[in-house]
Amino acid sequence: MNDAPARTMAAAPRPAPAKVMGRSAGFAAGRSRAALRAVLLPIVIIAAWQLAGRNGSLAGGVLPTPDRVWDAWVMWAFGPKGMGLNPYSGTWLDNVLFSAGRVAQGFLLAMVAGIPAGIMIGWSRAVSGAVDPTIQLLRPIPITAWLPFSIAVFGIQDMGAVFLIALGGFYPIVVNATHGARDVDRNWIRAARMMGASRFDVLRRVVLPAALPAIFTGLRIGLGIAWTAVIVSEMVAVKSGLGYVLWDAYYVGRMDVVIADMLSIGAMGLLSDRLIVTVEHWVLRWRRLQTATR
Amino acid sequence: MGTIRFREVGKTYPGKEPVVALDRVNLEIGEGEFVALLGPSGCGKSTLLNLVAGFEDMTSGTLSFNGGAVSSPGPERAVVFQEAALLPWLTVAQNIAFGPSVQRKARAEYEPKIRELLRLVGLERFADALPSQLSGGMRQRVGIARALVMDPKALLMDEPFGALDAQTRMSMHQLLLDVWQSLGTTVLFVTHDIDEAILLADRICIMSARPGRITHEIAVELRRPRSVDQLTDPAFIRHKAEIMAEMRAAQKEHA
Ligand SMILES: Nc1ncnc2c1ncn2[C@@H]1O[C@H](COP(=O)(O)OP(=O)(O)OP(=O)(O)O)[C@@H](O)[C@H]1O
Ligand SMILES: [Mg+2]
Repeated sequence: MNDAPARTMAAAPRPAPAKVMGRSAGFAAGRSRAALRAVLLPIVIIAAWQLAGRNGSLAGGVLPTPDRVWDAWVMWAFGPKGMGLNPYSGTWLDNVLFSAGRVAQGFLLAMVAGIPAGIMIGWSRAVSGAVDPTIQLLRPIPITAWLPFSIAVFGIQDMGAVFLIALGGFYPIVVNATHGARDVDRNWIRAARMMGASRFDVLRRVVLPAALPAIFTGLRIGLGIAWTAVIVSEMVAVKSGLGYVLWDAYYVGRMDVVIADMLSIGAMGLLSDRLIVTVEHWVLRWRRLQTATR
Repeated sequence: MGTIRFREVGKTYPGKEPVVALDRVNLEIGEGEFVALLGPSGCGKSTLLNLVAGFEDMTSGTLSFNGGAVSSPGPERAVVFQEAALLPWLTVAQNIAFGPSVQRKARAEYEPKIRELLRLVGLERFADALPSQLSGGMRQRVGIARALVMDPKALLMDEPFGALDAQTRMSMHQLLLDVWQSLGTTVLFVTHDIDEAILLADRICIMSARPGRITHEIAVELRRPRSVDQLTDPAFIRHKAEIMAEMRAAQKEHA
């Protein structure tokens, strides 16, 4: 029923064979050319944006130009704390850490619940029959719709944000882990049983490793949702973090801070995704070799 | 120690249109005997082997291994799969060690044995390679080593060399003959290759399809120890002619 995201995403992160095989001079040159090609579009956008502005703003004074955004970010990041005139001065790192901390907590919960749950649902027809319908019923409710519920239950506190992040991250993790566990080659399981593996051995030593590629796909999707959830809940229900600053700055007309905040969120999302990809590459080393030899 | 006995065994796969895969099969395999199951595709060879392995439950009759009922898979009945079915995230040595390790055996006990088996199947240099880095024949040799490390009482092989080229097959045949001649394990070997069946087996059971049944049994009179050179032996040719006539007759009956 929900294979579409799992399948299409699963195919994507395989590295090209060339990456594994050669490290020649031509390879390095190709790499720097690729890097150049990647930064070209952002440079064009920033330049056009700068040139379109007049007196440091555009769109009738609503949007600040890049240099203003940069100045606002420098002040936000490195300015002295506690200046009455600029409440954001020097608070960037604190707010980044607030948001990242909530994402880390919520995402950890989502993993701890989602991976075992998905494996069990994929492995056992009984568990699947008992749990899967409930998950499929709750899953279409967007995490934003859970906001009032979360505030009512947890109040204006960290727990509310962590709850939303955990919930949002849980669904893609559980769905992909379920698929991974369900698609295990039957002969792998038979071979393990024939060698004397208990049902638990099969789960831990065959089903889990076999499901890992799908699980990592779920983790990457889940992490994206976790960042959405933290921003949404900080905008509404918590008084700190990048989401809180985003909404607060908008309210007092500081669009330069708003844009600096948006870019900070993007950078954090990218950074955390790279972190997962790095772990994935290490854990799934065997798979890289497989694609390289084929 | 490694006796297998089928008594009036039937197996029907349930479904909208139930498939009768085996119908009243009677078969007795003695200790240390090498029996080949020969028959056309879909006649129930894998089904029969999977019953002994404990992968499937039978519908009727009785099946015993060493006098006891077969209820689940176990290391005393080691299976060699057609596509080897190695775990792709484990190295060659780890794949072979999987059995002893899930049986909670001491590492010091099985490690020397694994090294010895790697030498036996000619893969010492590939202990740390992943299955995907091996050729089909090498993978199958790992599959055999993985089975032998458990000291099985019976080896169940389902077209283990079916996907290999002729030359690799021949070297695998020699390897299997050598191993079996030194260990004396009971072997149930599924194939649809007549030459392979004659070369390896003491006895050949010919099956027919729909319903799956053993129609003939032929005792192979080729001297032991055998080698692949016997493919041109007059006795070999005689057996081959006999089996081909048998199979042709079976086919006519169904047409
Ligand atoms: N799990 C299953 N569910 C339903 N029918 C099955 C199942 N497994 C096998 N069959 C059917 O049972 C019959 C015997 O199958 P089996 O796999 O034992 O044949 P086989 O002799 O091993 O064939 P092959 O040489 O192609 O491997 C076939 O008609 C097959 O379609
Ligand atoms: Mg078969």
